[in-house]
Amino acid sequence: MSSKATIYSFLILGLSVTMLLIVAPVVYAISLSFYQMDSFVGTPQWAGLDNYARVLSQWEFWRALINGFVYSLGTIVFQVVLGIGFALVLNQVFPGRNLVRGLSILPYLLPTVVVVLTFKWMVDGSIGVLTSVLAALGLPPVYWFESPGAAMASVILVSVWMWTPFVTTTFLAALQTVPTSLYEAAKVDGTTAIQRFFHITLPMLKPILTVIVLLRAVWMFNKFDVIWLLTQGGPVGSTEHLAILSYRTAFSLFDIGGGAAIATISFAILSVAVFIYFRLFPLDTE
Amino acid sequence: MVRSLPGRLALYTAAIVIAVYSAFPIYWMVLSSLRSPEVLLTSTSLIPGPFTTEYYWNLLELTDYPTQFVNSIIVAAVTVVVTMVFSVMIAYAVTRHRVPGKKLIIGAMLYAYMFPPLLIAIPMFSIFAKLGLGDTLTSVIVSHLTLTLPLGVWFLWGFFKSMPFELEEAAMVDGCTRLGAFLRVVLPLSLPGLITVAIFSFLLSWTDYTYALIMIGSDANKTVPVGLASMIGSFDLRWGEIMAGSTLIALPLFAAFAMLSQYFIQGLGAGAVKG
Repeated sequence: MSSKATIYSFLILGLSVTMLLIVAPVVYAISLSFYQMDSFVGTPQWAGLDNYARVLSQWEFWRALINGFVYSLGTIVFQVVLGIGFALVLNQVFPGRNLVRGLSILPYLLPTVVVVLTFKWMVDGSIGVLTSVLAALGLPPVYWFESPGAAMASVILVSVWMWTPFVTTTFLAALQTVPTSLYEAAKVDGTTAIQRFFHITLPMLKPILTVIVLLRAVWMFNKFDVIWLLTQGGPVGSTEHLAILSYRTAFSLFDIGGGAAIATISFAILSVAVFIYFRLFPLDTE
Repeated sequence: MVRSLPGRLALYTAAIVIAVYSAFPIYWMVLSSLRSPEVLLTSTSLIPGPFTTEYYWNLLELTDYPTQFVNSIIVAAVTVVVTMVFSVMIAYAVTRHRVPGKKLIIGAMLYAYMFPPLLIAIPMFSIFAKLGLGDTLTSVIVSHLTLTLPLGVWFLWGFFKSMPFELEEAAMVDGCTRLGAFLRVVLPLSLPGLITVAIFSFLLSWTDYTYALIMIGSDANKTVPVGLASMIGSFDLRWGEIMAGSTLIALPLFAAFAMLSQYFIQGLGAGAVKG
């Protein structure tokens, strides 16, 4: 087989599998959003834009959209601030540094279900360890899943714990690329550590920071499992975002066209973010 | 660098805070899975004991956990293998040849692994139901491939790009075919990249809850994350067993990380990431 034939057979084989696996379902999902279908094995009926009109006229949709923004914004701010703080500490030289670096990654390895179950156990009513810690500190118990504010705080808290390591590790890797001579020169000039962070580290790492924020924003906006496992979108819809609304619409209400329409709308919102991403970081393929 | 005493103290304190913050819930999970029932619901002592392994035995003998564990292993193993084969093919082809639309292919891969999960899950569920493959491990594997395949291509593309062309050209001058050079020269040298892709594909598949929840209905076909989550819905909450089950899902991940942490960190740095 000639060299060219090998390359092309690789490409054709690989891409046809990818098309079949990814492109076909997405096209099917978008087309489903224009049909009315109330069973997964039923025959779809053409509905035009009815699904979109229905979905967009429900106030649940707008609540879910706002919840999604609150959740992504809240998780991103804390992940990024904590992640950068951790990276700055772990970048220093101290005994046991590698151990602490290793420990700091562990939350990221855990399955969401493990994190959520452990959190639920830790805050459980009268017996959870966090409940006892709060009591020992003289603080009132927090009923995490009963009030809307506390429920949103709990999904944000758990998500931040899980995904901060991503920011820490990426930022830590990026810190290695800042030339130490810059810091030495600045030190000679009598700057403080805080000045050096804001005038050298942050500007040097602005591109990687933008990547982190964009990637995390997209992922947090789509995240389904944390919220579903912790609150199922409750209480009274206060943590329900588009992914959960779409799941409920398609798999509990069997309004498959409506669920597909919500998924398609989130896809459109996400595409804007990805478009910005590619504008800021054009692919350099050569 | 020489530090002042207060500076050192602040640094050590910060390091301890990070370590405790990151590791305490995991420590508490393992400890709770071993603490005997008489004290499990009352003790908040940081030291375990009296010890018991009964939750582990209950889990293995009285529940579907062992079957679900095997399901998870099958799903993750097949996902990893299929991901490796096809992502290597695509990534190698686009880096080694002037393929028209190369940018589009690579860009689409990055785009694809950020898709909303329901955008894939709704049509997949419908397709598998129509094919009569609903509630099978195959449907879970296929849905996991929609995450791992783009990730694999994206990562290996970066990896192959930085690998000099001269290597396989030299082998081809020596009489190897392109395929021979690829199999004998390129693949062995790409081992670090391949390991990284394998780790992240395994991680995604092993930890997935969303797709497995949607695709699987029967207890016997559930993967461990879904099986374990369904224990919380039952009337008597058996926290000991739940923590034992959680520890058992986490163990393979910690073992893999302990052995392969350098590849893991490399992968994160290179942007091969589980969101």
